[in-house]
Amino acid sequence: MRLKEIQRTAHPAWSPAPHHPICLALGTSAQQLDASFNTTAALEIFQVDFADPSLGMKLKGSLPTSNRLHSLVWVNFGEGEDGLGGRLIGGSDNGTVTVYSPEAIVTSGAEAIIGQSDKHTGPVRALDFNPFQSNLLASGANDSEIYIWDLNNFSNPMTPGTKSQPPEDISVVSWNRQVQHILASANPSGKAVVWDLRKNEPIIKISDHSNRMHCSGMLWHPEVATQLVLASEDDRMPVIQMWDLRFATSPLKVLENHTRGLLSIAWSQADPELLLSSAKDNRILCWNPNTGEVIYELPTTNQWCFDIQWCPRNPALLSAASFDGWISVYSVMGGSLEAQQQSRADQISSSFDTMDPFGTGQVLPPLQVPQPTPQTTLVAPLKKPPKWVRRPVGASFAFGGKLITFESPKAPVQSPQPVPVPRQVFVSQVTTETELLQRSRELQAALQSGSLSDYCQAKIHKAPTDSEQDIWRFLLVNFEDEARVKFLRLLGFSKEDLERKISTCLGKNLQPNGHGVDANDLAEKIQLLSTQVNKEKKISFPIPVSAGTLLYAPVVLDADGLISQALLVGNFEGAVDLCLNEGRYAEAILLAISGGQELLQKTQQTYLEKQRNSISMLISSVVTQNWGDIVQSCALDNWKEALAALLTYAHPKEFAHLCETLGSRLEGERTEKRCLQACLCYICSGNIEKLVECWALQRDCSSPLVLEDLVEKMMVLRKSVERLRNSEVAVQSPVLADKLTHYAGLLASQGSLATALSYLPDTSDQTLLQTGLDVTCLSPVCSGFSPLQPFQPQQQPMSAGLGGPGLSAFPTGPAMPGSSLSGHPLPPFSAPGGLPTMPSPGPPPSGFTPTSLPSGPMPLSYQQPGAPVGMYPPGGSHLHSQGPPAGPPSGPYPPLGPGYPQGGPGAPAVKSFSAPSVAPPPTGTDHDAIHVLLPKCHPMPGIVALPVDRGSLRSVGPYRLTGDRTIKGMGCNLGHRPSVYQLLIGRQISNPCVSLQLLQALPAERVEQREIPAEHMVLKQTFDSLVQRCQLAAQDPQTKRKLDDASKRLGYLYDKLREHSLSNNILGGLHEISRCVAGQNYQRGLEVHTAVVTSSNFSEIQAFMPILKVVMTIANKLGV
Amino acid sequence: MVSVINTVDTSHEDMIHDAQMDYYGTRLATCSSDRSVKIFDVKNGGQILVADLRGHEGPVWQVAWAHPMYGNILASCSYDRKVIIWKEENGTWDKMYEYTGHDSSVNSVCWGPYDFGLILACGSSDGAISLVTCSGDQQWDIKKISNAHTIGCNAVSWAPSVVPGSLIDQPSGQKPNFIKRFVSGGCDNLVKLWKEEDGQWKEDQKLEAHSDWVRDVGWAPSIGLPTSTIASCSQDGRVFIWTCDDLSGNTWTAKLLHKFNDVVWHVSWSVTGNILAVSGGDNKVTLWKESADGQWACISDVNKGQGAVSSIADGATNEQ
Repeated sequence: MRLKEIQRTAHPAWSPAPHHPICLALGTSAQQLDASFNTTAALEIFQVDFADPSLGMKLKGSLPTSNRLHSLVWVNFGEGEDGLGGRLIGGSDNGTVTVYSPEAIVTSGAEAIIGQSDKHTGPVRALDFNPFQSNLLASGANDSEIYIWDLNNFSNPMTPGTKSQPPEDISVVSWNRQVQHILASANPSGKAVVWDLRKNEPIIKISDHSNRMHCSGMLWHPEVATQLVLASEDDRMPVIQMWDLRFATSPLKVLENHTRGLLSIAWSQADPELLLSSAKDNRILCWNPNTGEVIYELPTTNQWCFDIQWCPRNPALLSAASFDGWISVYSVMGGSLEAQQQSRADQISSSFDTMDPFGTGQVLPPLQVPQPTPQTTLVAPLKKPPKWVRRPVGASFAFGGKLITFESPKAPVQSPQPVPVPRQVFVSQVTTETELLQRSRELQAALQSGSLSDYCQAKIHKAPTDSEQDIWRFLLVNFEDEARVKFLRLLGFSKEDLERKISTCLGKNLQPNGHGVDANDLAEKIQLLSTQVNKEKKISFPIPVSAGTLLYAPVVLDADGLISQALLVGNFEGAVDLCLNEGRYAEAILLAISGGQELLQKTQQTYLEKQRNSISMLISSVVTQNWGDIVQSCALDNWKEALAALLTYAHPKEFAHLCETLGSRLEGERTEKRCLQACLCYICSGNIEKLVECWALQRDCSSPLVLEDLVEKMMVLRKSVERLRNSEVAVQSPVLADKLTHYAGLLASQGSLATALSYLPDTSDQTLLQTGLDVTCLSPVCSGFSPLQPFQPQQQPMSAGLGGPGLSAFPTGPAMPGSSLSGHPLPPFSAPGGLPTMPSPGPPPSGFTPTSLPSGPMPLSYQQPGAPVGMYPPGGSHLHSQGPPAGPPSGPYPPLGPGYPQGGPGAPAVKSFSAPSVAPPPTGTDHDAIHVLLPKCHPMPGIVALPVDRGSLRSVGPYRLTGDRTIKGMGCNLGHRPSVYQLLIGRQISNPCVSLQLLQALPAERVEQREIPAEHMVLKQTFDSLVQRCQLAAQDPQTKRKLDDASKRLGYLYDKLREHSLSNNILGGLHEISRCVAGQNYQRGLEVHTAVVTSSNFSEIQAFMPILKVVMTIANKLGV
Repeated sequence: MVSVINTVDTSHEDMIHDAQMDYYGTRLATCSSDRSVKIFDVKNGGQILVADLRGHEGPVWQVAWAHPMYGNILASCSYDRKVIIWKEENGTWDKMYEYTGHDSSVNSVCWGPYDFGLILACGSSDGAISLVTCSGDQQWDIKKISNAHTIGCNAVSWAPSVVPGSLIDQPSGQKPNFIKRFVSGGCDNLVKLWKEEDGQWKEDQKLEAHSDWVRDVGWAPSIGLPTSTIASCSQDGRVFIWTCDDLSGNTWTAKLLHKFNDVVWHVSWSVTGNILAVSGGDNKVTLWKESADGQWACISDVNKGQGAVSSIADGATNEQ
């Protein structure tokens, strides 16, 4: 393919390989005239810009020269890689050798000639520079003259030895490409002489006995030191001879194809199997000199080409200079450029029109005009792919941090027979995050063994910072009893310490009895107060009787009087108001106690409003149980106290919420310190989501180790919550899902696929990651994984959701914030005696009337946190049949009695007030729990009902990619960032896209379906019962998930059975497997399974066979 | 750490030019100068020859797996100017489509991301880039960018699918309008970015930094950030990392990853987009990772595929 051309009668020279951009120097040829008979001479430099699609080249500089050239070379000598450095050396008609600076030619033209010598006596036809020492230049001219020039010292050339006799023209000189002191020269008579410059003499002469070789060209083999080719100009012998100096009596090979004598040859330095030749038969051929085959013929003009050269920098390019006055640049890579050819034809005719060289007014006769060869036909590339396009090495990443590498083993160059070399591809595992993997393993081990306390301990031990240590301490507490007490201690509030301090302060030596105030004592005091009130009344009665006249006096002036009066008339409210007004708070409260519940509360309230001191807030909250205010308004520096108060007093049901409120306030400050404190709050409340969000706020979780930090905490906290609820906690918050997905992706990228799978959240949008992991981890049988397979996610919440048990998608659903760690007290309840953590001001053992206590509903409140979990077991079907897993023990509240005395952390005084003012007891019931859940579930029905009309699903069927619309339809819902909605939609759509079986499983179609044939019912029974058995025995969530999936996928099998669409071979196998399963011989079952899979059409069985294997494997493991 | 976990003896009779795992890393496709494409099941360390695909009449340069959502589809391109799309049906691999629209060696094939549909970009030595789209029912739609790289296109690589203008969720149900983009590298030393607008492919950017043929380009997978990253490697031994932070995608900055002493043939991003594997003419594979301060550092030499892993310190002694 012709890329560039220019009309010049000139010798071209490419800029040396290191130079960029590529330039072409053109020196006007001697002994040739163009149509204009112009006799001036010039040296021009053009830039060959391939980004420019036109055929033209940009002239960079031009230097008029006094002589026309026979030869021109561009040496990479001196500075500059900008395409203009180096030296141009021209050999002229009159024997002058001139050294030019290309840079000077381009910039100014002044001082462009660096050196000049007229040592040669005749036309200098041969020039070549040494490939090893670019300052060394050889030149050849008439009279057997050969000179070696040193560009550093240009004036004194050397000779390679004594002149060969008889004197002859030297047509070519050529340096050996492998040995730097070897030079060869050749002359038109056909002899070639090889010179050793160290010995300064010719070492071998090559001469063909035919005597018809007229050497127009000679070149050394680019890689083999002892081989060279000679080209013959003689029309009677238009051949290229290949000689090996080790056998210099006759040519090794003769390349014959040209019909007339050769004018020029060029050997590609980039690929020794490419040798160009041009001849007087107007052809330019490319040979593979090793085979002697012509592998390319350049589409050329009908003109002799006297000079061809490979471009040193761009191995696909060559220049050809023809006697018709055109210099063209071709690519040997083929292609077509019709438009450009047209432009050339135009250019030619137009230039001749204007030139009219002979003034005849006529267009020149056609013989002068190069007719473009018919270029509409395609130009084929080289028959043999050149070396430079053959990529020998590669490394590609693949899923799971795998690296695929291959390379080309170096074959011995000169081996006559191709030695078979192993062609290997290596699959490597790349792990860059070794620390991450190590820590992930530790975490995984801890999670699986359940020894999380130890894990936390170790973490505390290793924690690099105090805050980190704090967090792990808090996390650890969750795995211990008396969590709240220990939280308090961690916050710096030790009850024992406090008791000691109080005792010291009061000068008493109280027995530490677990709570600061003796309830009996308190009750007595209250009794006493009441008595005193009564007494006062009794005392005051006589007053009006005995001193009737005084009766009104106090009324007017004296508050005492008014109070008395009010009391006398039973106006407690008024009396209390008066007392409050007078600042007589004690009296006001005493009176209020007599005045009834309502008045007491009101009085408390007024008192607290009026009293403003450092502890009033606390007192106020303790009394009114209004912790919301504290967490809303406390100074953030007092977060510890606030949290301590919550730990001590807050009702389990509100505890979590309050903790979180405090946490979000701290978080709101956005400082690292506060965020850490907020994290502690969230740990107390057990809110994984918030913990994660808050943690991520201050840290860039894209760094693997930071993410690992987070996931460790997340998983440990989750484990503790699970422990308390005795059930799995699902990850459903987008933030969590996002982090876990990221984490799973990270693990997967490090090759830790199984672990990655265990972290991948159910709701992840990374369906492909999930499926990829499933494919690689779960179903090792599937060698010929059909395209259907990857897109049946293991978890198909939505497809299952059609029938209503969509809840199973969120097996443990509940909003974590709602229930959270209020579950903490649960274990104590179920383990009688272990009650010290009883956090709320619970009922005193005696002295109180039951009505004033929230005891009735209490247990429910404790039960509730666990309830939602229990209510929605993964099966999703036993909504009410299954009680809370750690439900109340048999007796209503057996632990209460023994528990309370030590349990209430609050002061007795507090209790006396709290009793009446405690908020309405929690009324958590199953229904409440459901309400909590429902909002979360809402999106689902909507989405389930959504969209994908069945027709389009069908057409999307995996093997038929019908219609644009379908594909795009699929595309539109996948692949962007997940909102929960989109996650679900994405999933929903991805499911059906995949499987026709799935469609058949949809209810509407199923209605019409026949029963499973009786003879195959045994399969369904066996497999279903196997899955059930496994489900009962399975412990870890991952296995459970797989089993859930199994029941679903086996549906495909049953559908196939109904359709009678399975071959006898498969049916036979299935029955055999079924028999093995019935006999609990899973090993044998698996063997049969493998046999079936290998002998069957995979697409027929891919929907259910893999899962059957999974189930059997699980069954085998569980030993059911 | 790089450790060889499987050595697949391909039994190719000539130089291997490409080896690609499928999406899940369960199957390996290789192609060679012996004109064949082979598929191996390499699950669990195995190496079972699944298919030996014959159809090309010249060396096969590259293979590319389509997104598995579209089935088990493999494209191969060859010096014979053909692109063949192979498909597995019922366990048998067959030609699905043969594209013969190029006038010279087809050097690179790359399937678009899932969201773009079943679309294949092909770069050829004839300078053109073809976009071959399956429009369903065995109908293939061809768009050709003529003279994309004047003296030949060596590599093509798709941009990950990003919904324009946002990382924000689109309203569900509404069809997002994906901008299709890809990058190409060629013998004109240029890296070019192409974008589809109104069904027409237009040159979006022209990135100049290399001083010789661009041998390979790789658009990094999206990691959810608005930054686009492209790696390019060249005959000149240089590997550049191009990044674009602005949403309009117009300002690209180049950072030199490294200048090797030999031609760099191939760059490949890890699936998570944070490690770049660079393979060069000296049969050497190196892995590079961007450090926190934005500098690229070599994290390991993968020695001649033999599994011996050297740290950077002794990497020098292993050079050929």
